Amino acid sequence: MPTSILGPYTRTIIVGAVIATTLIFAFTNARVEVWFDIQPLFEWMETTWFGVIGKTWGAAFAFVEAIHLLGLAMLGGSVLVGEGRVLGLIFTDIPARTIIDRTHRVFVWALITLLATGIFMACGVAMKIYYLPVYWYKMLALAAGILFHFFIRKPLLVRDLEAINPWLLKAVAISSVMVWFTVAATGRWIGFSG
Amino acid sequence: MNDEKNQDSKLKDDQSAAVLATATFVVFFAVYWFLQIQSVRELLELARG
Amino acid sequence: MLNELVYNFAVWLDDTPWSTLLHESYYMYNWVESTHVLTLMVSLGMLFIIDLRMLGYALPEVPASKIAERLNVPMLVGFSAMFITGILLFYAVPVRSSQSVWFRIKMVLLVVCAVNAFLFHKRLNESVSTWDTEARAPGRIRMGAALSLGFWSIVVMCGRFIAYDWFDCQYDQSALVEFLAGCVDGQVRF
Repeated sequence: MPTSILGPYTRTIIVGAVIATTLIFAFTNARVEVWFDIQPLFEWMETTWFGVIGKTWGAAFAFVEAIHLLGLAMLGGSVLVGEGRVLGLIFTDIPARTIIDRTHRVFVWALITLLATGIFMACGVAMKIYYLPVYWYKMLALAAGILFHFFIRKPLLVRDLEAINPWLLKAVAISSVMVWFTVAATGRWIGFSG
Repeated sequence: MNDEKNQDSKLKDDQSAAVLATATFVVFFAVYWFLQIQSVRELLELARG
Repeated sequence: MLNELVYNFAVWLDDTPWSTLLHESYYMYNWVESTHVLTLMVSLGMLFIIDLRMLGYALPEVPASKIAERLNVPMLVGFSAMFITGILLFYAVPVRSSQSVWFRIKMVLLVVCAVNAFLFHKRLNESVSTWDTEARAPGRIRMGAALSLGFWSIVVMCGRFIAYDWFDCQYDQSALVEFLAGCVDGQVRF
């Protein structure tokens, strides 16, 4: 019985297609064309309630920035503890399944906080970030991080971990830390740019 | 039996997808941060004259 | 009197060449500030997991004593990095920082956080053997965890607000703000 219309390697084919599409997008003119096309979206973002509030009340914007940082701390905690367990650095006497599942829940709440506050902040400074390359790097890293977490890491780690190549487990954990570090670092750099 | 085979093939699929994704991340991470550090170094060298 | 002392000390720091170098260096200053902010993920990340565990929201199956004991080390490593980078950030901009209302509130709250953490760990160590595997800690411990979450959240907010110049001494401020910020009559450095 085939697992799907793409055959037994559905997930691998989809991942390959996403990577290929991203590379084509990055190295062709398509990137610039789409960038021009979505300018009205960023102009519109500044006219929304979020945009107006963010631009009018500096204190509201700063408050949301602080909540964004708290979400970042929570996300960092959940990623470091979860991946620390997968790498065998921490809580080795607790079943990996318990740590992975429980940190995933914290991760989801942290991500929701970050996305909600991030959208608010983006509306307040939409036209500034539209012209910042580092903002687009952050969005690329964020999209990669979310897809990786929910589409690669989670389906893999719900399985019996004993059946998975230990080097692959380590690679997944290190990739996860790297991608979320990049999201945070590029996010911080937005503040220094423009 | 068939179900077991199916599970095994799904595991292989999940593992190979993870290999592809992590390899891409590691290469991208290395290239991105190398270029970033390199550009900062070049700027600093220019600034020093 | 005290404010003048703080101001004079800050001006003296500001006059040291390394302070100027650090402040004027785009990359070094941003690197230090980025490290200060990103280390939040380690220090507060671990702290939040510990506090949320006590409140019953995170890792309820893991014994509370293990969470507190194991995450303490990475948490303290993170806080040490934040402390060092924090001192460097103050050293780079000493006058404005020492006269920032938010910085002053943050410093007071850091002391409050330290006292709360001391009491929290004392109470935890005294009683944990009786409730270690329960999903939620007893009321007093939960109170300590909630206070820790609250205080640290305000510390982060104050830290973020330092960047804004709403209450800077260089502008006309109300008597209350001037008092809280410790503005000095006739000061020439901001």
